Amino acid sequence: MPSVPTKPFGNTGVNVSALGLGGHHLGDASDEKTAAAIVREAIEGGVTFFDNCWEYNRGKSENWMGKGLRGLRDKVFLMTKVCTHGRDADLALQMLEESLRRLQTDHLDLWQIHGVTFDNDPDLFIRPGGAAEALAKAKQQGKVRFVGFTGHKAPRIHLKMLATGFPFDSVQMPLNAFDATFQSFETLVLPELNRRGIAALGMKPLTGKAEPLSKNILSVDEALRYAMSLPVATTITGMEKLDVLRQNLKIAQDFKPMSAAEMGELRQRCARLAADGRFEHYKMSLQYDNPEARLAHGFPIDPEQREVKQLLQEAKNTGSPYPE
Amino acid sequence: MSEPNTNPRPRGEMDRRQFVKGAALVSASSVAAAAGAYAQVTAPPAPPAPAPQVPKKPLGRTGLQVSALGVGGFHLGVPRDPEEASRIVARALEAGINFFDNAWEYHKGESEVRMGKALKGKRDQVVLMTKVCTHGRSKQVAMGMLEDSLRRLQTDYLDVWQIHEVVYYNDPDLIFAPGGAIEALALAKQQGKVRFVGFTGHKDPAIHLAMLAHDFPFDTVQMPLNCFDASYHSFETEVLPEAIRRGIGVLGMKSLGGSGEMVTSGAITPEEGLRYAMSLPASTTISGMDSLSVLEQNLEIATHFQPMTGSEMEALRARCRSLAADGRMERFKSTKFYDGDLGREQHGFPSAKELPL
Repeated sequence: MPSVPTKPFGNTGVNVSALGLGGHHLGDASDEKTAAAIVREAIEGGVTFFDNCWEYNRGKSENWMGKGLRGLRDKVFLMTKVCTHGRDADLALQMLEESLRRLQTDHLDLWQIHGVTFDNDPDLFIRPGGAAEALAKAKQQGKVRFVGFTGHKAPRIHLKMLATGFPFDSVQMPLNAFDATFQSFETLVLPELNRRGIAALGMKPLTGKAEPLSKNILSVDEALRYAMSLPVATTITGMEKLDVLRQNLKIAQDFKPMSAAEMGELRQRCARLAADGRFEHYKMSLQYDNPEARLAHGFPIDPEQREVKQLLQEAKNTGSPYPE
Repeated sequence: MSEPNTNPRPRGEMDRRQFVKGAALVSASSVAAAAGAYAQVTAPPAPPAPAPQVPKKPLGRTGLQVSALGVGGFHLGVPRDPEEASRIVARALEAGINFFDNAWEYHKGESEVRMGKALKGKRDQVVLMTKVCTHGRSKQVAMGMLEDSLRRLQTDYLDVWQIHEVVYYNDPDLIFAPGGAIEALALAKQQGKVRFVGFTGHKDPAIHLAMLAHDFPFDTVQMPLNCFDASYHSFETEVLPEAIRRGIGVLGMKSLGGSGEMVTSGAITPEEGLRYAMSLPASTTISGMDSLSVLEQNLEIATHFQPMTGSEMEALRARCRSLAADGRMERFKSTKFYDGDLGREQHGFPSAKELPL
C-alpha cells in the first residue's frame, strides 16, 4: 500500500510524514463522522503529522480530532497550539489541560505558541511570567515532548522570536511559491531554521484560500510539490473533505522533489502576481488577523468577520461545538 | 549616455552655475525677507523683529538647506477653492518654509497646477520637488511625465525629482531594468532638468533597502517617519541610518499616520507627532495641509521647534509601542488603503477597493 514519505523532525531523531493534516479544516468537515473518516483514512495513507489549535472552531477541531484518534493516538505525531496571544504562562497551562482533554490524550508530541503576529509578541512571550515559561514547564512535566511557535504575518517577527534565545524545537510558517518573492519566510526564516536544526513546518501551500488554483496560476500538484520540495519536516494543509484528502494523499505518496529549475520557474511565474501581497492576505491585511489575538492585545476587531461572529456567539470557549 | 538631447534649449555649465547662484539666493533672500525686505541695504538702526521662522537643515550632501517642515503637494489639491492652495503656499513661504513636495499623479495634475500658480515669481525661493509615476514603466514614460510636471509647475527645472510609490516587491527590479525609470533620473540630471534625484515609498523598509542596494547615486529618499514607525516595520531603525551613512538627504512623511489617525484616535497630540518626526535626523518632515488653519497649527509647532531629547523620544516610542504592533496606526504599511490605483493598474493588480483592507 502506498504511503506518504517521512522526513526528520529537526534534530530530534523523530520522523514525521511529509504531509500534515491541518486541524482548522477538520472542524470545517460536514459532520463529526466525516471528520473521523478523514482522520482514519489519512492515517491509513501514511499521514502521521496532525495539526490543531486550542482556538480552532471554538474547540470543535480538537474535539473532533480527539474522537477520530480514539485507539489511534500512538500512530500519530500530535501537535496543538496554545493561544495566549501575549498573556500569562498560567493561562497557557490551563489551555494545555483543555487541549489534552479534548484531544483525549495525556501528552502532546508538539505544543506551539499560536499566531505570533504582532510586533510586540516576542517581547510578551519571553517576559517574566510569559508563555515561554509554560512551554518550558510543560516539557519538563512530560506533558509535551517538543515545543515551537507559529505565525503567518512577517518573517521579521519570526526572527525576533528566534532572537529571544528560547530553545524551540519547531517553527511553523507559510511556505509557497508566492511567499518566495513577497516578505519571504522561505528566504528569510527557513535557512536560519535549517542552520539551527529546528524543524520547519510549512503551511498554506495553496496560499490559504487556494486562489492560485481557482485562477489557474498553479495546479494543486505544482503548489503542493513546491512546498514539499523545500527543506521542511512537513507541509500542513487543510482537508475538510475526503476527496481533497485523497487528492493530496495521491500527490504526497507519489512525491518526487522538484528540481531547482522547476522551482525557479514556479517562483518566476508567481513573482509579478505576488508583489502586492494580495495572494497572501494573511501577511497583508488586518482583517486576516485572528480576532482572539486582537482582543488579547486590546486591538479593535471587525464585527463582520466570520471568526468574530463565532466569537460573539459563543463568548466562552468551552470546547463544545460551535452552534451553527 | 548616448541619448540625444531632446531639450529645445540645451543646458550646460551656464545653467548649472545659475543653479548654484539660485541656491545662494535662497538663504540670502529668506534672511532678507525675515528681517523685512532688503532692510540691510539701507541699514536702519533697528529692523523690525522677524516673524517666527521654521528652522532649516541641510539636505544630505546636496548643499541645499531645506525647511524642517515641508508642504505636501497632495493636500494642496484637496480644498475646493484653488485660491486656498495659493494662500497656504504664500503663508508657508512667509514663515520660512522652502520645501515643496508634489507628484505627477496627485489629483490628476491639479496639485502641480495649483502649486505652479502659487509659486509664480517665487520659484527661486524654494526647493521644488515632484515625483514621477512610472510604476514600473519605461524611461520614455518618465521623461514625458517630467515635461508635464515642469509645464504644470511653470518652471524649467526641478530641485528634486523622485520615483513615486516604490511599494511593490518587484519595483526595484522594474525600476533598474534596462530602459527603466532609473535611466530617466540619470538622463534628466545630465540634461540639467533636475538637480537631484531620489525615490519614495510608504510600504516596507525591505523595499527601500533593495533600492539602495543597487548603489545608484540617489540624493534623496523619502519614507514614513513617526513615533509609531519605530515599533512596526521600522524605517527609522532599518533605513534611516543607512541613508544617513550614505549622505542621502532623508525626507520624512506621514508624521501623524497619513490621515491623522494617530491624533484622531487620541493616541498622541499633533505637537508630539510632529516634534518627534522633526527630531529625527531627517532633513525635512513633509506634512499635508489642506487649510490655513492646519498650516497655522503646524507653523506654531515648527517655528518654536526644540528637538526632543533622547529620553523624551524613547518615552513617546514606549507609549506608542503596544498600539503600533498591529499596524493599524500605519495603514500605508499594513493595508493597501494608501496604494494608488494608477500604480496598481500599471502592475496589473486589481484596485485596492476590490480587496480586503
